[in-house]
Amino acid sequence: MAAGGGGSGDPLAPAGVPCAFSPHSQAYFALASTDGHLRVWETASNRLHQEYVPSAHLSGTCTCLAWAPARLQAKESPQRKKRKSEAVGMSNQTDLLALGTAVGSILLYSTVKGELHSKLISGGHDNRVNCIQWHQDSGCLYSCSDDKHIVEWNVQTCKVKCKWKGDNSSVSSLCISPDGKMLLSAGRTIKLWVLETKEVYRHFTGHATPVSSLMFTTIRPPNESQPFDGITGLYFLSGAVHDRLLNVWQVRSENKEKSAVMSFTVTDEPVYIDLTLSENKEEPVKLAVVCRDGQVHLFEHILNGYCKKPLTSNCTIQIATPGKGKKSTPKPIPILAAGFCSDKMSLLLVYGSWFQPTIERVALNSREPHMCLVRDISNCWAPKVETAITKVRTPVINSEAKVLVPGIPGHHAAIKPAPPQTEQVESKRKSGGNEVSIEERLGAMDIDTHKKGKDDLQTNSFPVLLTQGLESNDFEMLNKVLQTRNLNLIKKTVLRMPLHTVIPLLQELTKRLQGHPNSAVLMVQWLKCVLTVHASYLSTLPDLVPQLGTLYQLMESRVKTFQKLSHLHGKLILLITQVTASEKTKETTSPGQQAKLVYEEESSEEESDDEIADKDSDDNWDEDEEESESEKDEDDAEDEDEDAEGKDEENGEDRDRASEKELNGDSDLDPENESEEE
Amino acid sequence: MVEENIRVVRCGGSELNFRRAVFSADSKYIFCVSGDFVKVYSTATEECVHILHGHRNLVTGIQLNPNNHLQLYSCSLDGTIKLWDYIDGILIKTFIVGCKLHSLFTVAQAEDSVFVTVNKEKPDIFQLVSVKLPKSSSQEVEAKELSIVLDYINQSPKCIAFGNEGVYVAAVRDFYLSVYFFKKKTTSRFTLSSSRNKKHAKNNFTCVACHPKEDCIASGHMDGKIRLWRNFYDEKKYTYTCLHWHHDMVMDLAFSVTGSSLLSGGRESVLVEWRDAMEKNKEFLPRLGATIEHISVSPAGDLFCTSHSDNKIMIIHRNLEASAVIQGLVKDRSIFTGLMIDPRTKALVLNGKPGHLQFYSLQSDKQLYNLDIMQQEYINDYGLIQIELTKAAFGCFGNWLATVEQRQEKETELELQMKLWMYSKKTQGFILNTKIHMPHEDCITALCFCNAEKSEQPTLVTASKDGYFKVWILTDDSDIYKKAVGWTCDFVGSYHKYQATNCCFSEDGSLLAVSFEEIVTIWDSETWELKCTFCQRAGKIRHLCFGRLTCSKYLLGATENGILSCWNLLSCALEWSAKLNVRVMEPDPNSENIAAISQSSVGSDLFVFKPSEPRPLYIQKGISREEVQWGVFVPRDVPESFTSAAYQWLNRSQFYFLTKSQSLLTFSTKSPEEKLTPTSKQLLAEESLPTTPFYFILGKHRQQQDEKLNETLENELVQLPLTENIPAISELLHTPAHVLPSAVFLCSMFVNSLLLSKETKSAEEMPKDVDMEEEKESENSDEENDFTGRIQDTNNTDLGEDVIHQLSKSEEKELRKFRKIDYSWIAAL
Repeated sequence: MAAGGGGSGDPLAPAGVPCAFSPHSQAYFALASTDGHLRVWETASNRLHQEYVPSAHLSGTCTCLAWAPARLQAKESPQRKKRKSEAVGMSNQTDLLALGTAVGSILLYSTVKGELHSKLISGGHDNRVNCIQWHQDSGCLYSCSDDKHIVEWNVQTCKVKCKWKGDNSSVSSLCISPDGKMLLSAGRTIKLWVLETKEVYRHFTGHATPVSSLMFTTIRPPNESQPFDGITGLYFLSGAVHDRLLNVWQVRSENKEKSAVMSFTVTDEPVYIDLTLSENKEEPVKLAVVCRDGQVHLFEHILNGYCKKPLTSNCTIQIATPGKGKKSTPKPIPILAAGFCSDKMSLLLVYGSWFQPTIERVALNSREPHMCLVRDISNCWAPKVETAITKVRTPVINSEAKVLVPGIPGHHAAIKPAPPQTEQVESKRKSGGNEVSIEERLGAMDIDTHKKGKDDLQTNSFPVLLTQGLESNDFEMLNKVLQTRNLNLIKKTVLRMPLHTVIPLLQELTKRLQGHPNSAVLMVQWLKCVLTVHASYLSTLPDLVPQLGTLYQLMESRVKTFQKLSHLHGKLILLITQVTASEKTKETTSPGQQAKLVYEEESSEEESDDEIADKDSDDNWDEDEEESESEKDEDDAEDEDEDAEGKDEENGEDRDRASEKELNGDSDLDPENESEEE
Repeated sequence: MVEENIRVVRCGGSELNFRRAVFSADSKYIFCVSGDFVKVYSTATEECVHILHGHRNLVTGIQLNPNNHLQLYSCSLDGTIKLWDYIDGILIKTFIVGCKLHSLFTVAQAEDSVFVTVNKEKPDIFQLVSVKLPKSSSQEVEAKELSIVLDYINQSPKCIAFGNEGVYVAAVRDFYLSVYFFKKKTTSRFTLSSSRNKKHAKNNFTCVACHPKEDCIASGHMDGKIRLWRNFYDEKKYTYTCLHWHHDMVMDLAFSVTGSSLLSGGRESVLVEWRDAMEKNKEFLPRLGATIEHISVSPAGDLFCTSHSDNKIMIIHRNLEASAVIQGLVKDRSIFTGLMIDPRTKALVLNGKPGHLQFYSLQSDKQLYNLDIMQQEYINDYGLIQIELTKAAFGCFGNWLATVEQRQEKETELELQMKLWMYSKKTQGFILNTKIHMPHEDCITALCFCNAEKSEQPTLVTASKDGYFKVWILTDDSDIYKKAVGWTCDFVGSYHKYQATNCCFSEDGSLLAVSFEEIVTIWDSETWELKCTFCQRAGKIRHLCFGRLTCSKYLLGATENGILSCWNLLSCALEWSAKLNVRVMEPDPNSENIAAISQSSVGSDLFVFKPSEPRPLYIQKGISREEVQWGVFVPRDVPESFTSAAYQWLNRSQFYFLTKSQSLLTFSTKSPEEKLTPTSKQLLAEESLPTTPFYFILGKHRQQQDEKLNETLENELVQLPLTENIPAISELLHTPAHVLPSAVFLCSMFVNSLLLSKETKSAEEMPKDVDMEEEKESENSDEENDFTGRIQDTNNTDLGEDVIHQLSKSEEKELRKFRKIDYSWIAAL
């Protein structure tokens, strides 16, 4: 893993802050920020695991860091052998973190204990440590420094094992070969050392600026026919400060070729590089390069000899804020580091600020050439101490959430339109031209009410207002009408309202019933009135079931607790009110000429109600009637009435089950009103 | 993997709250018993540093070795006391006692013996006995020398406390407080006078604690009172005072190190600190989440810790601020939701704290977080019927989470709520999308998302006891004000008013299987038409699942009567059936395999099979003695490559299961040590910190003192010079400033006085040096002798006065000699 240096004033210092994922499962992410604090984050829960401030954090800021390799300690160290071996057993060493500082010391920090484990000073560097690498299996640590030296440390004893001059200028980067026998170092040139003898094995030209990262990309040579000596044929990668090209080099058997085999181009200086090692010839190397401009470039390439043209990335990942509204434009969020997960199919992205980074696991979709993730990190800025300790996360519950209670559409499956057979019949009927007739009738009614308006202002203005309100969907106007508490007034208004407004009114009432219970109480009065007065009209409607399904469900759910009682109550109320209503209408509507129309309607409704019992005969009769009717001309009022009557009945019977249900629903409504009143 | 041998291993969530946790002397580590192991945690990082394993049965008690604070004693039901080096995690010694040990106590004054409780004859009668630990160099020592201290005591270690530096021991049981005085060898017994009185019927003792310095015993009671007993040397003149804040039983009590404050806790989950044993001086740390079961105090006095019933240890600062939480798998209450895997974090998800879902990382064996689903304050009280989180399911690759909350006080009073949470990528958290009150009239029995990859709209099915199953779909709820999506019910299905018990989508999402008691119905998910029904008449269907991949034409059902049936969906016929009492049936998402765990009187057995053939691929008998309640397949990040056919089912997924006692188990082929210590991170490197000047002066010096403290009595005498007794210093401090000689004289005097002890010691240890000096400075030999004589008796102040007047050459020489000695002392380091 690459670890760049700290942000010093040196123009040739690598950009970015030293940081690294813990090996293998990437459970932790260690980050040494410029304020000298070392913070270790848990990648799975995005939680600050621990924070450590070295005692000399101001003078000797951390310049590089490296996790100790997680490996099973197969054999015990000699010191421990004399002790009982069974208790020690196999163990991991994942918890050690080596920190190099600007003054040349190396700290070993134990993340399990949360304290400094040891400090490597004596005989080490006397200048800024640029890079630290752990040896995979020997328990050694290699470090390089501005003092031009490379030091090999024995971690067990914390002593220098070997120290040699690595370059004529400062040594900026190190990498150990996969077999652990060679060491790459980058100073002015890139050198490959034999670790045993500390001799230079190969030279590579390197970069113009200090090399910030070195990495082996393959562990097997591409040509498998030849015997493998552990190093020949391997590729490695180098990135440098202020260099937008990452070079790939190949270790060859002959010592002549010194230039890069190929290169990858990125948009800015690489800050953090991670790759998946390719284990065989066919498997491509996956490379994730985090640039200083906050983007991640992903490369997937099978390393196979020379390539003159620099390769461009297969996929670019960017992160931006959502930028809601017009004021705030989306702003990019810098990605700080990226590491491949062990399944090689997803990437851990670290983004945001250095002090409070967000760590997210992103699944890789290699098909898209550009991924822009929109993330809202505004609430991440203030770290919550409480959540850090209690480990409780509170999911957001806001007012935008949809709430479904019994009776609200969506809580129960919507009642579907009647089966196709009846639909056909309906369509037939529509062609029969009853639409026109209804409209005519309603038109007449409208005029009628206008005329009447002069006689009785109160009762007249209400139906008008209601009609207008429903047509224009004027909330104020509807409020004015519907908020009334006068029962008589409600009855009168309902009686005189035009028929075509019945369904809109019912829908409006349904909507209001779903609202606040206080207003619902008033709506119940209206509903009761409308349903008792216009029951017959409603039962004529062919598409009543889908239209009033929600209302039915609402009533059903609300009166559920006293189902049988309410059924009985509803039926009785229906009978009583209809009897009284019919009596009243007989009395009241007699004087008016055109009122005759209304009167007929009521009577017909009553008839239809009574006739429910003998269905079959009616049905047949209706069919005949209808057929004959369709041929007739609809001239006079009487004919029209008959027509309507016939249709009422016919509809009632046609919709058989549905209507029965509906009627039940109607009856249900009333007790509900009662209960609400109570 | 060459060596393949599948074993059942415990993989996490072991109990941490069985006994009081114990702090190390420097408060850096905390120890807790956890099943057969002792776990060592770092108090700073909450990480498990070591797991001490060696006991063969439940570990019942741990205590620091009072004579060496780097060692730890533990006792276990296997009848042994073990001594550990906890820094390195090494077993030092095993003392075999022989009988079951139920708790362990150590007292600094009783040098080579420890106290344990043993159960002699009757099951409920325990004795406190002292065990003499013989000194022997061998690893295993028999310790049979037992002497009874107290009889008829309570089993719980909370009911026994040693007070006032081991002068007495107090034990409580029922309504008695017994105090045994070691010096007098007498027992006093105090009975709560009104124990028969109805009003005081609940004042049984629950726990006891002793003041570290004074003769004061604090006892906790069932009714929430704390009594402070004093003057109990006299059986008649004893007094007690009452402190009352807890409304429910006092679970544990602890005095702070200095004894200035008393800590108590109980079901209220509030830690109460009583300052100066006064009722009015109380401090509280509320909302600790669950019942406080144990309280302990670090020897250094800077930390407290509370163990809670939800399997966590909370480390609390002296100023009552929680600083760290060591949380195991929450196991306070029963698991209703079963085991799930969050597709996003790959964490195990199940019921957690009340009203929460816990996300548990299986890789690191740590809890990630608790997701607060209910968002209601939890009221800790006995007998309250709480809202339970009964069902949860993830859908659409972790983008949706459905949860069901239920509270049923009486048969008819059911409160039910379903919440659908959307994972917001923007904020990286769940946001409530739809809340549905009473989605069904009765309890929801099953909940499942359609997880087919190509499904265009998310679909959720709920099955309920009310005889219906409902299909919920995500629809567009946008209006002119906002763009939104919400869930609505799309279809309600039923079958002859039978209770819907299970539901399950096929892998491609085209079919939905819903079981109605004994009958399985298959529905087309496009039109919601009933396609066919299967009925075996073999009892209610308990588990239902479709086969996967090549076996997707099969449907499996396990019934309560112990029949496992496999239907072929193409032929609509029973393919095969087997007699197997299936408790858990889980399909592997990555393969055709299905794991079934059957329950028999002996234990649970695992069967792994493919639906295409009735012969199991793998059978493991006796995976657990208890009933297995839930299981789940967890996809592996990196596939394993087992070659043997029997183990291939573990290649792509790992199988985890949860038993009734809520221990999470899995199958592993790795060696026991490797698997059992996943977090024990042994440090390879030696600790080497550079020595600072301070360290030279204090640290090393002190260390040396510590080391030699026990060596000889003589050393001890000279090593602890009391500054008041050194004449030079008292001179310096008590003489008025204007009559004091110049600082030059005083300086040498002062240094002399401080170096005295060292001088003698090194003189004794290195006689050669002294001889040499004596030879050199023969003239001053008298004074020399005089001087050494004086220092050996540090209490002798007479000669000190003369020293001021003797600021002569001899003094200078002495000083020179001291320089030499001083040098040798440093070299000795």
